Amino acid sequence: MAPPAASQRYPSPSQPSGKSEVSDLKTQLRQLAGSRAPGVDDSKRDLYKKVISYMTIGIDVSSVFGEMVMCSATSDIVLKKMCYLYVGNYAKGNPDLSLLTINFLQRDCKDEDPMIRGLALRSLCSLRVPNLVEYLVGPLGSGLKDNNSYVRTIAVTGVLKLYHISPSTCIDADFPPTLKSLMLHDSDAQVVANCLSALQEIWSIEASHSEEACREKESLLSKPVIYYFLNRIKDFNEWAQCLILELAVKYVPSDSNDIFDIMNLLEDRLQHANGAVVLATVKVFLQLTLSMTDVHQQVYERIKSPLLTLVSSGSPEQSYAILSHLHLLVVRAPFIFATDYKHFYCQYNEPSYVKKLKLEMLTAVANESNTYEIVTELCEYAANVDIAIARESIRAVGKIALQQYDVNAIVDRLLQFLEMEKDYVTAETLVLVKDLLRKYPQWSHDCISVVGGISSKNIQEPKGKAALIWMLGEYAQDMSDAPYILENLIENWEEEHSAEVRLHLLTAAMKCFFKRAPETQKALGTALAAGVADFHQDVHDRALFYYRVLQYDVHVAERVVSPPKQAVSVFADTQSSEIKDRIFDEFNSLSVIYQKPSYMFTDKEHRGPFEFSDELGNISITPEASSDIVPAQQYEANDKDLLLGIDEKDDNKGLSSNNGSAYSAPSLENSSNITSQMQELAISGPATSATTPQSSFGFDDLLGLGLSTAPAPTPSPPLLKLNPRAALDPGAFQQKWRQLPLSLTQECSVNPQGIAALTVPQSLIRHMQSHSIHCIASGGQSPNFKFFFFAQKESEPSNYLAECIINTSSAKAQIKVKADEQSTSQAFTTVFETALSKFGMP
Amino acid sequence: MPVAASAIYFLNLRGDVLINRTYRDDVGGNMVDAFRTHIMQTKELGNCPVRQIGGCSFVYMRISNVYIVIVVSSNANVACGFKFVVEAVALFKSYFGGAFDEDAIRNNFVLIYELLDEIMDFGYPQNLSPEILKLYITQEGVRSPFSSKPKDKPVPNATLQVTGAVGWRREGLAYKKNEVFLDIVESVNLLMSSKGNVLRCDVTGKVLMKCFLSGMPDLKLGLNDKIGLEKESEMKSRPAKSGKTIELDDVTFHQCVNLTRFNSEKTVSFVPPDGEFELMKYRITEGVNLPFRVLPTIKELGRTRMEVNVKVKSVFGAKMFALGVVVKIPVPKQTAKTNFQVTTGRAKYNPSIDCLVWK
Repeated sequence: MAPPAASQRYPSPSQPSGKSEVSDLKTQLRQLAGSRAPGVDDSKRDLYKKVISYMTIGIDVSSVFGEMVMCSATSDIVLKKMCYLYVGNYAKGNPDLSLLTINFLQRDCKDEDPMIRGLALRSLCSLRVPNLVEYLVGPLGSGLKDNNSYVRTIAVTGVLKLYHISPSTCIDADFPPTLKSLMLHDSDAQVVANCLSALQEIWSIEASHSEEACREKESLLSKPVIYYFLNRIKDFNEWAQCLILELAVKYVPSDSNDIFDIMNLLEDRLQHANGAVVLATVKVFLQLTLSMTDVHQQVYERIKSPLLTLVSSGSPEQSYAILSHLHLLVVRAPFIFATDYKHFYCQYNEPSYVKKLKLEMLTAVANESNTYEIVTELCEYAANVDIAIARESIRAVGKIALQQYDVNAIVDRLLQFLEMEKDYVTAETLVLVKDLLRKYPQWSHDCISVVGGISSKNIQEPKGKAALIWMLGEYAQDMSDAPYILENLIENWEEEHSAEVRLHLLTAAMKCFFKRAPETQKALGTALAAGVADFHQDVHDRALFYYRVLQYDVHVAERVVSPPKQAVSVFADTQSSEIKDRIFDEFNSLSVIYQKPSYMFTDKEHRGPFEFSDELGNISITPEASSDIVPAQQYEANDKDLLLGIDEKDDNKGLSSNNGSAYSAPSLENSSNITSQMQELAISGPATSATTPQSSFGFDDLLGLGLSTAPAPTPSPPLLKLNPRAALDPGAFQQKWRQLPLSLTQECSVNPQGIAALTVPQSLIRHMQSHSIHCIASGGQSPNFKFFFFAQKESEPSNYLAECIINTSSAKAQIKVKADEQSTSQAFTTVFETALSKFGMP
Repeated sequence: MPVAASAIYFLNLRGDVLINRTYRDDVGGNMVDAFRTHIMQTKELGNCPVRQIGGCSFVYMRISNVYIVIVVSSNANVACGFKFVVEAVALFKSYFGGAFDEDAIRNNFVLIYELLDEIMDFGYPQNLSPEILKLYITQEGVRSPFSSKPKDKPVPNATLQVTGAVGWRREGLAYKKNEVFLDIVESVNLLMSSKGNVLRCDVTGKVLMKCFLSGMPDLKLGLNDKIGLEKESEMKSRPAKSGKTIELDDVTFHQCVNLTRFNSEKTVSFVPPDGEFELMKYRITEGVNLPFRVLPTIKELGRTRMEVNVKVKSVFGAKMFALGVVVKIPVPKQTAKTNFQVTTGRAKYNPSIDCLVWK
């Protein structure tokens, strides 16, 4: 019988306690269970409704399970439905009790009313109790053969549900082939659509370990199947059409006739009322024509007006989804909406998320011909009551200026913003003016005269303040009172809460000192003293560094802090083109909304090799990857353009919007120089000279860059030369890891010193890096650590990927190696093991 | 699979779950708590209708005083998700007879459960057409207790077999009086700069139809010759046609319309669903004649007072007249006191929408 109602939960105190009500219900149900008096169904209905309403508000009514099942012997369909609902909700928590329901559900599956057959079958499959799967196979089998389409539709989804509970039962019962034949021969469109979704899901999961499933999955994309679906597409409802179009995207057409056939067939889908169908069609068109440049352009022309219609009709949420897609398209093909920019003007009653996207669109579609109008409109928004939007629009103006259209007029406008005397407008504008000056130094004269008139007291926001201070330092020679403003600011050091501003103050004081030494000397002294005493580690370190470098040689200091600058030609894009392409491949999905490819956000099972790091939650992939890859890139970047290199670094961290990267410039520009100057310092500075490269891990860590390529004890010349600057992004790594076969698995022991040193994963990562083996992700806690490494051949871009699991208690390491070139994987393993064996050795 | 939803939640404004349905096991039951703490209780609400928390994405919409949240665990199709919510709400409305709000949900939860089961199975949208669903999901679906074998099988079984062919209409309809109503609803959007220049102007129109027809009628709607639906390239090739044509930028049709025939013959031919539906939607940007001209002047009197002067002129022909003209003037949220001077009609301040409303 039912268990005592001990485990009741009350989600909120305001709701009825439920205990007495539930036991009331129980007795009433019991009375009715055996009764066959007329009208009993009506009272049962009322009771059932009560039970379900309790269930809905969160009161646990699982204790009446037995009674509910007893009462379920009825022919009233409404009662049955409520009973199914109840059973479906509580079966999972009460596997034993659900056995009771099997009987009546199975009986209902043979009812002569197809409605009841279908409902019962659905409930049976929705029980989700693993030990009951054996009872599912029979009803499902007959359900698939049922002569009523409603039952077949449900049975098909039922097969998928069964597969998720117990894949082996589903495969053993030979359901997938049955579904396939149903898919190709059933007369009902919904049955066919459900078969398609079920088969896609089953086969894509099976494909990883069964070749047959892989073949079957491919066969879904064969020409006859695709044409079978596309020719019938009008028979399907809108949702199924989305499904089919999504399938068609993956189809690889044999020749251009094939492409045009499909496009002709689908063109009228662009006029469908359902936005999802239109977007799916757009995706098919775009993907099909990727290889045909001129047709691709025509496609953009063709899809333009349906997309604009979608933006202007429907709920704001829908417009939001569509606008995100438009943004993706316009980045790929800026000309497409260039003449329709007025569609992206904001309306006052739109929610801010739509407005924000529209601002992005306006920025993206700006070109020579429409900049003037767009900027005029954006300037109107700067006075918007919604401060967030006002800020965004100012930023948008700045971005357009950085795109080199009509800079002259825009600079004027920006300077006008400064006269609006609103805190946030001034702050945003200052940041933009700073960025503009980095790109167009020729405007410095105009800007500086205006900027000089701004009182730093009026700016509260750290970013704006930092920008102003940067300009004070950079253009100290043009602003007569720059040293005195800085001096004032430095005097109020204690009141400055933002570390960023304090960092900038230090740097600006230095720069100012190099240009106007007598006036600044005192202020610089105060700043350095305050900085060294600062509780913020970065500020402290920078002050100390400046102090020592000044002590060492003022000229070196000037070279470090204030080298002659080149104008920034291009601000680095926040996303690599590879990532953009991936997002484009995932058109019409969440990727576009989040603006990142799906592997970055979908759940663990899709994350492949990075799964563990997330589970343990110790170290995330991104910071890890950036700190390891950045050095490699940064060296190259330093050679070319200092500022560029910095922006790139920011990108890798994934921190920056276009603006974000710009603010941090002065701070980073120093830190990257620090690396190159570090050797010199180490010789002269009495404090640092004591630290030897081997024991300076902590020190390296602070700088984040490390002496990664500093020669550690060279290993005995290995057979394989590895590239010390190898770079691989996490996405590519993940892809390769999935694709490449396992070439070697090896177990070896780690020496005790190594184990002792391995308290945190970072220590090993640094060690391996000195052997040109780079870490892309790591995680774990003592005693188990897991690492993913990669390395590249010195001479050619051939990659080695390795997974290394180290158990510190048994002092064993397990290594799995995958390689582009199978033949050299043994050599790489040797190098890897040699490197590992040296870990922890002094 | 990209389109499967894991669960759907209906929440009230406080964040209490009114009703929910979990379709798949890949999201935990506490997901809705995550939604509550990370979205509803922060300023995030209203910032973005798609949010990711943990491994799940939340796609949500607010309809009157209810939040409808779809939880997905994979890279789902967002447009599809939103459209599904919109369609589902339309379906519920047609069942409840109008309003869709917290009370309607509380009063109809059994029905909603049933519908949720029918419109989505294991996360895949099924049939959402009210016409078909109403055949077999009813609250009056009582069968007399002892006749377990009803004599006349209800209609659904017959139609369910043809769901594929005409999914939006059931067979065997019969009306004594066959009637068709056709409404055209246009909304004109105008954006004017503060100096009075028209920045942007477009019209989105809908053709609404109400049908009470017997059998399976095949209807045709001819559009007059003035309407041109031409692709931009063709338009450029012959630009200066007499100014009388109306250029539709884009048209979309209800799923019942035979799109191929529209493209070849320019007639809208269709088998209509029973009852009310939206036959087509269109968009026009060129050559829009505005029905009114609005001339606003705004004066700021000091820091706390503002004077708004709005002049509305009708520009349409003298024989026509307009009904139900409403002017809304958005004002700051902090508005404390209002004063009106009107030459005709009545005006009042409506604080709930932060607007002055003139009728």
